[in-house]
Amino acid sequence: MKALLEIQGVVVTAPVGGGRVAVLRDIDLSVKPGGVLGLVGESGAGKSMIGRLVGGVLPPAFRVDRGAMIFAERDLIGMPAAERRGLLGREIGFIPQQPMTSLNPVRNVGSLFDEHLAKLGVAGRAERRAQAVAALEAVHLPEPASLLGRYAHELSGGMCQRVLIAMAFASRPKLLVADEPTTALDVITQARIVALLGDLCRQYGTAVLFVTHDLRLAAQICDEIAVMYAGEVVERAPARDLLSTPRHPYSQALRSCSPSLDGPLARLVSLPEHMPGLGALAGMAGCRFAPRCPIADHRCAGHAPPLAENAPGRWVRAAGQCLSAALPARGDVPHGKGDAEGGGRLALAAEGLHKTFVSRHPLLFWKKRRVDAVKNVSFRLRAGEFLGIVGQSGSGKSTVARMLLGLEVPSAGRIALDGADVTGRFSAHAAERTKRIQMIFQDPQSALNPRRRVASIVTQPMEVVGRSAWPERLARAKKLLAETGLAPEMAERFPAQLSGGQRQRVNIARSLCNTPRVLVADEIVSGLDVSVQAQILNLLADLRDHHEIALVLISHDLSVVRYLCDRVIVMYRGEAVEEGETEAVFRSPRHWYTKALLAAVPPDDVNHVWDPHTASSALSRLDPAIES
Amino acid sequence: MSGGVLGVALRRIGVSLPLVFLVSVLVFVVLRLIPADPVAMSVPPNATRAEIEALRAEMGLTLPIHEQFWIWFAKAAGADFGKSIAFAQPVSRLIGQALPATIELVVVAAVFATIIGLAGGLLMYRVAGGRGEAASDLASTLIMSIPEFLWAIFFILLFGVALNILPFTGRLDAGITVGRITGFLLVDTLIQGRFGAFLNALSHLLLPSMSLALGTAPLLMRVLRSSLMEVGNEDYMMMARLRGFSERRVLVHHAFKNAFLPTLNLMGVQFSFLFGGTLLVEVIYSYPGLGSLMVQAVANTDLPVIQGVALVYAVAVLLINLGVDLAALMLNPKLRIAK
Repeated sequence: MKALLEIQGVVVTAPVGGGRVAVLRDIDLSVKPGGVLGLVGESGAGKSMIGRLVGGVLPPAFRVDRGAMIFAERDLIGMPAAERRGLLGREIGFIPQQPMTSLNPVRNVGSLFDEHLAKLGVAGRAERRAQAVAALEAVHLPEPASLLGRYAHELSGGMCQRVLIAMAFASRPKLLVADEPTTALDVITQARIVALLGDLCRQYGTAVLFVTHDLRLAAQICDEIAVMYAGEVVERAPARDLLSTPRHPYSQALRSCSPSLDGPLARLVSLPEHMPGLGALAGMAGCRFAPRCPIADHRCAGHAPPLAENAPGRWVRAAGQCLSAALPARGDVPHGKGDAEGGGRLALAAEGLHKTFVSRHPLLFWKKRRVDAVKNVSFRLRAGEFLGIVGQSGSGKSTVARMLLGLEVPSAGRIALDGADVTGRFSAHAAERTKRIQMIFQDPQSALNPRRRVASIVTQPMEVVGRSAWPERLARAKKLLAETGLAPEMAERFPAQLSGGQRQRVNIARSLCNTPRVLVADEIVSGLDVSVQAQILNLLADLRDHHEIALVLISHDLSVVRYLCDRVIVMYRGEAVEEGETEAVFRSPRHWYTKALLAAVPPDDVNHVWDPHTASSALSRLDPAIES
Repeated sequence: MSGGVLGVALRRIGVSLPLVFLVSVLVFVVLRLIPADPVAMSVPPNATRAEIEALRAEMGLTLPIHEQFWIWFAKAAGADFGKSIAFAQPVSRLIGQALPATIELVVVAAVFATIIGLAGGLLMYRVAGGRGEAASDLASTLIMSIPEFLWAIFFILLFGVALNILPFTGRLDAGITVGRITGFLLVDTLIQGRFGAFLNALSHLLLPSMSLALGTAPLLMRVLRSSLMEVGNEDYMMMARLRGFSERRVLVHHAFKNAFLPTLNLMGVQFSFLFGGTLLVEVIYSYPGLGSLMVQAVANTDLPVIQGVALVYAVAVLLINLGVDLAALMLNPKLRIAK
């Protein structure tokens, strides 16, 4: 069959220093009518750039130097801007990564839809309104007519994404470019959006360019996958083959560095460093993956291998030696968990934690509104034990963390640290708290003071305990850096001079400064790419082995919790609905919500059939009020 | 939804009322503290001590200070500010004559400032990154660094004296009289169908209002430009482009409404300053408004007039801010959430 979209040898360059660097190099891809091509890779791989290329919205000063992009027998690259705009929103639809901010905040759904349908040539305001209502109904949004008068901030992320999907399918496009359409959503909403997209595409015969960082998700929903690294396609293969038998060293790493919910529990293989940025690409003559490749040798620096077909339908950008060499496999290093019931010292005890938020009525100030954010949550944490708290946003898991840290005062219940009661305001037990419990912040970018050097940042907690001489602090800083896998010379750097992974290590080093007994980590790896995430997860596992540290890990990512945590608490609407040993809970969940959460995660085993419909429908039957 | 709008609006108005009261207390107290004795100014130089005391009692100045305030406040609430010492007329009549002139001047200046500010902001955004950027930066900085009274003098010299194409004193040419209906000349002349007089009044407004507008517009330009730049990186802008809308449509229908919100807040502040700016500009153009009245009253230490005009200024600033807040409420749906 003839391809719907054919990208042929495209090179896109950007200015760096005096010259230009290829941010996309020799891209060859094709999408069949009605087919689904997955573009998989980490941030900076160039996968979103391909979506922007199709839309003709490259960043300023980026330029297509070579190649063609044939869509339905017309070259999108040579086409005048006005003609291309005629195709966009009509024959080519887009679904964005951030649905909530992709709807104009000062215009309601109805006005955006009206504008969109007017561009499509639908005459008459009443007719456009009727079509908009029908389109919103088709994406299963409740009360579509009243939705037209609402704004993005009044809707959930999933609802915003449905509105955008409804808009994209209003013209029954031939091609849909979906750029990480479910990354900003929780797992259950992700399954529902994926199911919806699948249904609509089958119904209208729409082909999809599906951009994602999640290899397992791509393997389930795509026909073919192209793995991208540093602006190149490094491997192309039928989707299931790529997940089960990845051939390029990077594809293999991508799979073995992300934890999974099924299969044996093994230590993650992490890649060193991070993906080269624009500046680093400028000085790179050979293979772009070589600096991080576990099997690279002297031949790689001068030679950039071409993308070659080495079996029917399987393309790999690799030299002969790359495919024959043995890579460190996933199971090589046994992953040891701390002894859960080992009778260790009790580090943290929470009993009957309850938090009610009271807000005032806007006009009638004597009226109060009460929201029970956390209801009766209890747990005990021993030294060296890792506890995971999972649940979707709004389930109360972050409120639990804030109470443990003393940032919120519990409405009822007790918190004991190392046997000492610290319930109440932070200031009442400040000394005990700073010594015993510390927080690892979610976003290291904003948690590290940009005007301080790393040595000063990681020893910041020493300022609380009392004044320490600088040499003493510097010595402590070097020790902390060594423990978190950072080079000693990093002490002199500013946060802006570090990569995302390094910043998160600094963030962790700071939390360890006063050798606390308990760490609280709220979504600390959710902003990181999988290869960097693996480094951080392994670092936390090592810290448990070396120190008797206890960790409360708050995460929406079940596989991360499975990898690190001995025990898990599942929270739903403020309540702990299920609790137990992680393996036992995940193998045989009892509560329907835990079951729904687990079913929504795409499996690692390609032979395991995953249907997003069943994952999402179970939940909607049991709780129709849950966010759609 | 509309209940939310109404609730927020009512709350905003509810906050304004105590503010008016506080301002009136402040005006009253400050004018009691300055070393000016209204009795001494009202009696002949050869008055006896007994006569002075009698007048003091008659003017109510022997009462305790809070009773004096309540009497003044109760009357002021009914627009009775007492009698001017210098003009021997009720203060409310003086203000009533001058206020429409000043409102007319401020409104026309605000319209000019808005047009220049928004058009200039859009222009600066379009030339940003290109060759015109340095020139537009220079021009806006230059305009911004010149205070409005300097513009006033410059315009008089250029358009009034050198080119001699625009009038620069008063509200109308000497030969023209317009019957008073509302006090707003632009409105009255139109009601009476006197188109020539309308143009004459407008030409008198042109220079003073432009002087005021040029003191206000450059900041609006800059804020609009930088908000447009911020908005340019938002996801919904990319989404609008990806749905195939032209750059012009994206700018006008998607970027502008969002970028206008910070500009609107600034307009509230700036238009309040505009009222204060009339003080100098009115004197320079011999424009018979509140500013001129205030300057004369200060020169004569005419306390009742000063009190009255100061209160009118304060209420005007509160009203402008209230108006801007309500406008923001109409334009920004996020403000309408009743928490």
